[in-house]
Amino acid sequence: MASETATEAARSPGISYQQLLDTDTRPVPEVLRWQSERELPAVRVPIERYTSRAWHDLEVERLWKKTWQFACREEEIPEVGDRTVYEIADLSVLIVRAGASEIRAYPNACLHRGRALCDGPGRAAEIRCPFHGWTWDLDGQLKRIPARWDFPHVERERTRLPELRVGRWGGFVFVNFDPGAPPLAAHLGELPRHFERWPLERRYKEAHVAKRLPCNWKVAQEAFMEAYHVVATHPQMLPGIGDANSQYDAWDSFSRAITPNMTPSPHLGWEPSEQDMLDSMFTRSVDAEPLLRVPEGMTARQLLAQVSRMQLQASVPSVQDLSDAELADSFYYTVFPNFHPWGAYNRIVYRFRPAGNDPDHSIMEVIYLAPFRGRRPPPAPVHWLGDDEDWTQAPELGFLARVFNQDTANLGRVQRGLHAAQHAHVTFGRYQETKLRHFHALLERMLAA
Amino acid sequence: MRLRHPATGALYTLREDGEVEVEHEGRRGVFTPAGAWRSGELREADPHLLGWVGGPSLAPRGGTFAAPAAAPAGPRPPPTLSRGAPRGDPRRRSQGMELGLSGRKALVTAATRGIGLAIAKQLADQGVDLAICARAAGGLESAKKDLESRGVRVFTKALDVADGAGLRAFVAEAGQALGGLDVFVSNASGGAGTGENAWQANFEIDVMSAARGVEAALPLLAASEAGAIVFVSSTAALEYLGVPQPYNAMKAALIAHAHDLAQALAPRGIRVNTVSPGPIFFEGGSWQMIQQAMKPVYDRALAQCAIGRMGTPEEVARAVVFLASPAASLITGANLVCDGGFTKRVQY
Repeated sequence: MASETATEAARSPGISYQQLLDTDTRPVPEVLRWQSERELPAVRVPIERYTSRAWHDLEVERLWKKTWQFACREEEIPEVGDRTVYEIADLSVLIVRAGASEIRAYPNACLHRGRALCDGPGRAAEIRCPFHGWTWDLDGQLKRIPARWDFPHVERERTRLPELRVGRWGGFVFVNFDPGAPPLAAHLGELPRHFERWPLERRYKEAHVAKRLPCNWKVAQEAFMEAYHVVATHPQMLPGIGDANSQYDAWDSFSRAITPNMTPSPHLGWEPSEQDMLDSMFTRSVDAEPLLRVPEGMTARQLLAQVSRMQLQASVPSVQDLSDAELADSFYYTVFPNFHPWGAYNRIVYRFRPAGNDPDHSIMEVIYLAPFRGRRPPPAPVHWLGDDEDWTQAPELGFLARVFNQDTANLGRVQRGLHAAQHAHVTFGRYQETKLRHFHALLERMLAA
Repeated sequence: MRLRHPATGALYTLREDGEVEVEHEGRRGVFTPAGAWRSGELREADPHLLGWVGGPSLAPRGGTFAAPAAAPAGPRPPPTLSRGAPRGDPRRRSQGMELGLSGRKALVTAATRGIGLAIAKQLADQGVDLAICARAAGGLESAKKDLESRGVRVFTKALDVADGAGLRAFVAEAGQALGGLDVFVSNASGGAGTGENAWQANFEIDVMSAARGVEAALPLLAASEAGAIVFVSSTAALEYLGVPQPYNAMKAALIAHAHDLAQALAPRGIRVNTVSPGPIFFEGGSWQMIQQAMKPVYDRALAQCAIGRMGTPEEVARAVVFLASPAASLITGANLVCDGGFTKRVQY
């Protein structure tokens, strides 16, 4: 692999994110001040990484069968006996709440003739194969075999459902196929400290939309790991987004981008007013009244923060203490390999997976985790969009649906271009594509094993 | 729908036939929303912005706001109440209506700001001992100081009224601290919002805190010789406010529940009424926020107020205090609309 080491990252002209934080009307939390030491090698990576079945097979063996991965939310299986299925490539996992505070995961395959034990979310007191009725307890102990006399060779003790590792953080359930992997806490490292102020376990799944995309899963997720694409893909946002002023950091197993909003893009050749910045968020028609008007003596950033405070008032008791930055900006984390929780109260979590064993297709999921007050509202079930449906057909996504449409409009064409390419590598920017370089460095380490 | 491309300055117009006309530096072109050129001398346009303009589910932004009505000629400010000779002045002909509240005990939820605080202050001015709660301890402390300076006893507790067990405990503790309870005012609200979460919040905060609070307070109120319950609802329950939201539906539920309670509790000597305020403006309140952030919405609401201004928390508080007092002994099951003519229906 060709590589370079970026020693000193050049930065875009314009205000830095740290300088912008100094203008906040509230104290800014420490987590937004943390910056990483960067030394990331991958500046070019081979194209076949996105297109070849051989590379995909290697990922299955050395990545998906070895790494911790977000499988479901705890709230999806709240009662003993509740179960759901997590699938990755052609692997399938049955996740079940075995006790009030106990969650277990099993390969989703009957030990008799292999039928999937579970086809989707449900609740039952035991695990029963629908084919011949072999049955296990929730804790994996063999319970019943119809016509038991026919299986004298099947020993009860040896016919426990094999168990997969389970870890939990922030209301998320993670699984790991590798019995020898270090614990989830070691994988997450400092991540929980980053989310201390924004506890994701105290959220509920407000929306969950899934769509199959005609591109490799890495092509898909890499479109959501930098703000460099905004200038060409989301031009309507430029007056009100500090795309090139974003800050990128990478730690052990996770990375973070922070993109400030309600500050003009350095790409813009003119200076927008505070109102222009605000309008850019709402796609205002040139002859329509603005949806919100920035009052005299206030900035668009302060207004957006104040409106967010108003919206969060009922569900976030500490809302008055949150900084403008936490209410206005975008904090998008990537936890290796494919889990993307957003910081503060942006609500977004993305997950990207290969679609079966096809390196040219992937599954993108958009999950909104909303704060709540009082009783936890029930989690939204997965809303699958068809191949010919676009994100606006999921009204639960709100105005972001059209932004996702702009993003996904590129993705199939990226995959086609990668197949058509006569050159061998894609190349990454030294700073703005920090998160991609970090990801590929970790991926190479896993796959080299 | 017309958009200006912020980088190139080109103007994109979505036509009625679904195609997009782009105008840039005197040249024009017509494109499909997907970006294919149809006609005109301009042959290239940013495909992403084309998708944005003509893309799926693009509708003109939901309704344009009507221009604010011409400001009515000088709306009158709220009247001062101490008109004529001061109390105690021999020239004074009447001592005014006696509310009969002095020495009684009242509980008001969410009483550190806005309408709740105004209710507590006026009750205190009538010589009523108070139990109040709110989520933030800081606000409770300053409210307590203010109320105590009016010469009454004040019991406070930091509490989220959505927490049923906590609310019940607070009501019991309040009864003990004050030595009984005559008046229960449910004022807490989850405020405006949309979505599942808002439904839950308004249900728990607006409806259930009132329902649970009454349940908990019942033995105390039944022991009083002048038991009274007042729920603060909203005109949002009565007329369309421009957005379907749980706040409106839950406030309506509150009125219905008060009506039922009025019938059921009358034999036990407890009166139950509702006050429905229209837009109420105060420092730090929602309408101030709306005035700053959504001027057209504010202007439209203001234009709808027949008296030419929004209400004050004090004006709502007077209605609540009256209904809570023995002076309103014949009134139960009423919903007193207190809105300066904001709603247009006949208040039968």
